[in-house]
Amino acid sequence: MPVVTLYFDRIKKILGKSIPKEKIVDTLPFIGLDIEEESADHINVEYSPNRPDYSTDYGIITGLQGLLGVKLGMPRLKIKNGKDLVKVDPSVSKVRPYVTAIEARNGTLDDETIRQIITMQEDLHNGLGRRRKKASIGIHDLEKIKFPLLYKTVTQEHSFVPLESETSMTVKEILEKTETGKKYKHILEGHDKVTVIVDSDGKTISLPPIANAKLTEMNTKTRNLLVEVTATDKNAAEGVLAVIANTLQIAGFELYSVKVTGAGNSTPVLKSRDLVLEPELVNKTLGIEISNQIIVKSLKKSRLDAKLRGKKIVCSIPRYRTDIFGVMDLVEEVALGYGIQNLVPTMPESVSAGERNNITKILETVRQLMIGLGYLEVMNFELTSKEILYDKTARESSKIISVADSKSQEHIILRDMLLPGMMEVLSRNIHESYPQKIFEIGTVFEKDSPIKEGIHLACLSAHKDVNYTEVKSVLQSLLKTGFNLSCNTVPQKEPMYVDGRIGSIMINGKKLGSLGEIDTRVADNFKLRTPVAGFEIKLSGLVFD
Amino acid sequence: MSQVLHPIEQKILKTLIEKQNLTPQELSDKTQLSIDQIRRGIEWLRLKDLISIQEIEKNFVTLGPRGIEASEKGLPERLLVDYVKSLPISTCTLEEARNQLKAEFNAAIANARKNGWIEISENKITLKTFLDNSLEEKLIKQISDSKSNPLSITEINDTKSLEFLKKRPDFLVVNSTKTMTTTLTEKGKESFNKFQTVSHATDSYVVRAIDVEAPAPTMFAARSHPLRDVIDEVREIFVSLGFSEIIGNNVQSSFWNFDALFTPQDHPAREMQDTFYLKDVIASAAAKPDQIKKVSEAHKKGWNYPWQNEEAKKLVLRTHTTCVTIRSLADQKHDEARLFSIGRVFRNEKLSYKHLAEFHQVEGVVVGKNVTLRDLMGLQTEFYHKMGIKKIKFWPTFFPYTEPSLQSMIYNEKLGKWVELFGMGIFRPEVTKPLGIKNPVLAWGGGIERIAMLRYGLEDVRELYENKFGWLRSVPKCQ
Repeated sequence: MPVVTLYFDRIKKILGKSIPKEKIVDTLPFIGLDIEEESADHINVEYSPNRPDYSTDYGIITGLQGLLGVKLGMPRLKIKNGKDLVKVDPSVSKVRPYVTAIEARNGTLDDETIRQIITMQEDLHNGLGRRRKKASIGIHDLEKIKFPLLYKTVTQEHSFVPLESETSMTVKEILEKTETGKKYKHILEGHDKVTVIVDSDGKTISLPPIANAKLTEMNTKTRNLLVEVTATDKNAAEGVLAVIANTLQIAGFELYSVKVTGAGNSTPVLKSRDLVLEPELVNKTLGIEISNQIIVKSLKKSRLDAKLRGKKIVCSIPRYRTDIFGVMDLVEEVALGYGIQNLVPTMPESVSAGERNNITKILETVRQLMIGLGYLEVMNFELTSKEILYDKTARESSKIISVADSKSQEHIILRDMLLPGMMEVLSRNIHESYPQKIFEIGTVFEKDSPIKEGIHLACLSAHKDVNYTEVKSVLQSLLKTGFNLSCNTVPQKEPMYVDGRIGSIMINGKKLGSLGEIDTRVADNFKLRTPVAGFEIKLSGLVFD
Repeated sequence: MSQVLHPIEQKILKTLIEKQNLTPQELSDKTQLSIDQIRRGIEWLRLKDLISIQEIEKNFVTLGPRGIEASEKGLPERLLVDYVKSLPISTCTLEEARNQLKAEFNAAIANARKNGWIEISENKITLKTFLDNSLEEKLIKQISDSKSNPLSITEINDTKSLEFLKKRPDFLVVNSTKTMTTTLTEKGKESFNKFQTVSHATDSYVVRAIDVEAPAPTMFAARSHPLRDVIDEVREIFVSLGFSEIIGNNVQSSFWNFDALFTPQDHPAREMQDTFYLKDVIASAAAKPDQIKKVSEAHKKGWNYPWQNEEAKKLVLRTHTTCVTIRSLADQKHDEARLFSIGRVFRNEKLSYKHLAEFHQVEGVVVGKNVTLRDLMGLQTEFYHKMGIKKIKFWPTFFPYTEPSLQSMIYNEKLGKWVELFGMGIFRPEVTKPLGIKNPVLAWGGGIERIAMLRYGLEDVRELYENKFGWLRSVPKCQ
């Protein structure tokens, strides 16, 4: 989850009221933030990406103001009419059809504010922007731009000086050579032309969703900003723009609209929307009885607007709250405003008697019997490696089921058998005293339109006198005592076992596993110097379906 | 003194009463016990403070290379007289003797004279009548005979000859060795007088008393895996709270793992870097046609993007057990129910002390017309109480498929801090409505390994799957 750094001196300034540090720290979790780290001058918090308005200290403090009772209700965007214009060329519609923009004027930027804005931009790119695919942002120094702007497509030979470069580069070079180019060029795949925003002098200010121009880079001297968001989804573009506009307004900027025309685009309207909430739903869902007034106040503490209309409550939601889908989201807002700590847990009476699953009960029986026979339970991962599952055990590997792009080499293949993992367990314990007797009950996977899962039991016995007969006795005893079953063992060959010391386990005419002495070369692959014998048997289809 | 002595101990004590200062080898010889039995017995007696052990240095004498030669062929002086004796007139010149004995000539002449074997006059050697074995020859024989059990210097009485032979180069080698000898302590002497074989005769045989205080060999009880014990405990608590267990597959279609839970198809959690997708295989159908239709509509309405069936058919290793519970609710359409599922879940994580790629999760759901968030908090609280956890608090959080959502924090006494444990919430209408679930559904659950780590005081979650016998055999089942 993304992290925001909150400096206590900035909190004090932005909050607008002097509140003890401890009170602030204690309140943070109640607006849904996880405290990562606290020090004398700052605190790091994690926020859920569904609340992009918490991607800066400004947004978080807005939330805090509500719960602390400093400011209630919805922060309103005051957007003055601006006269600047962005024209959209129809050619963009096949690549990245939407652009939206706003100006933020007469503000000041210090290093920390710039850092907060850049972090917000990154978080929005990753979250609402879906790693820039759906929406991406450019924040520019307004003074460097001559309106009107044109959003259009160009060939990859088009060139300009991108951010973090000193020299002019072609689009092609930017995509091939720069860090962000390499990371995001896949978004432009399949398009010969790319989108750019150019100003009336023909200077490029941005190459969405890859890079902005060096020309318009903001710094601590910048007073006026242009924010543009390009997107494949107009709604997402406006949501992102609303989060940034709201943040910059709290940071002290004045907002001015930017007109957008052409190719299905329009000037963004960042207005709030209304939802009607039934008080009964709130009380019924939370299990409380609170008055409509308290519901209204709670919503306001969650920085929403609310008013009574007859027996219902009309709730206004600012445009930047993209996380609110319907009335149930408002119920949560009431709960947060009311205070989670004020909800007293109640214990509902059960209408049913609980029960373990039948398979669980049978597996428990098998486990008890194996323990009674002197075997220690082990638990291995279901994802393993080809080396353990097939190579070291000399098994045929034609039906591998693997996962894509695993971060760990040891966890790539779904096991189709338990014994290889258990051999690895013995291998890791060669320094421990013998005899060693282990068993495992676990899920294994098999390719079968598309995947079949089954539960196996396997056991291994390792000591100097172990032999086929010993493990056959264990199997017989388990089947007889547990399930009144008997088995035949029929000669067969498997490279994992010693020739002539391996049998198929046949029960009611079906082959359900193998039993035998482990081949010394296989044991050697696991660095075992002690003889090993064991068996593996399917439980699915034998003692349950 | 309640000591009962083992027969080995008795024999050793008895022997030491007769003669003190014995080495283990000497004790072994005298008692006819093996050297291992003697060593064990000595150790037991020493622990009981009945004997004491001294380390003494002993010098042992063995033959050097020339000594060995001499023991086989004879000393140079013997060779000299043998030579002279072999001559027809039993006499020879010094010259002849020198040619015969070469480098040994001087030593041979000197010693033969010392032994009184020869006389020399006018450059001629003549033999005397008595050519008895010299003291040196006797000593060499004695040393040679005790090759297997080297002689201690103190055992040689003829110290004069010993000194004499030591001066002759390469005849003798003296090694010093530290030897352990044993003596009875005062307590040992006293005990010997008192000790008695406690035995009682039955009709036909005698039961020998044993040392009931002696340590016994270690055995390891076969047992279930400690993590299994925690899983079973959690299961039992759910059952006791009226929940019935359901089981589902580890491999699920993306539909049940994500789409049915209102997680949009372009959501970062669905990316390969977080989720394990199976290679080269997809589900034949994402879900039932009606379920697909309604869920896809909810996605289009809520998230405003083109929902794709192919994406929903991709097979994943389930990232949570919620896919099992939601599928059961969608198929069974309960009006009232308490269900839970416990099993493995998977995340594409790099393994570390706090992350596994594969772990266990439990999830319970309550379906009911009148269930509330406070009920959910109550169930969670009751669960923790049954686990022995008393201090609990709730904080808001976010899950894509529940609203409202809470996380629970528990106070861990061992760590002295609050730890995040189970999450919970009420399934979103966007989840339940399309699947035809009418009543509210409370859901709560979390990882089991986390609880196991707290229970067993582990700092590295990987230890749970290392299957080290040292740990499996020693960690107490009840704690």
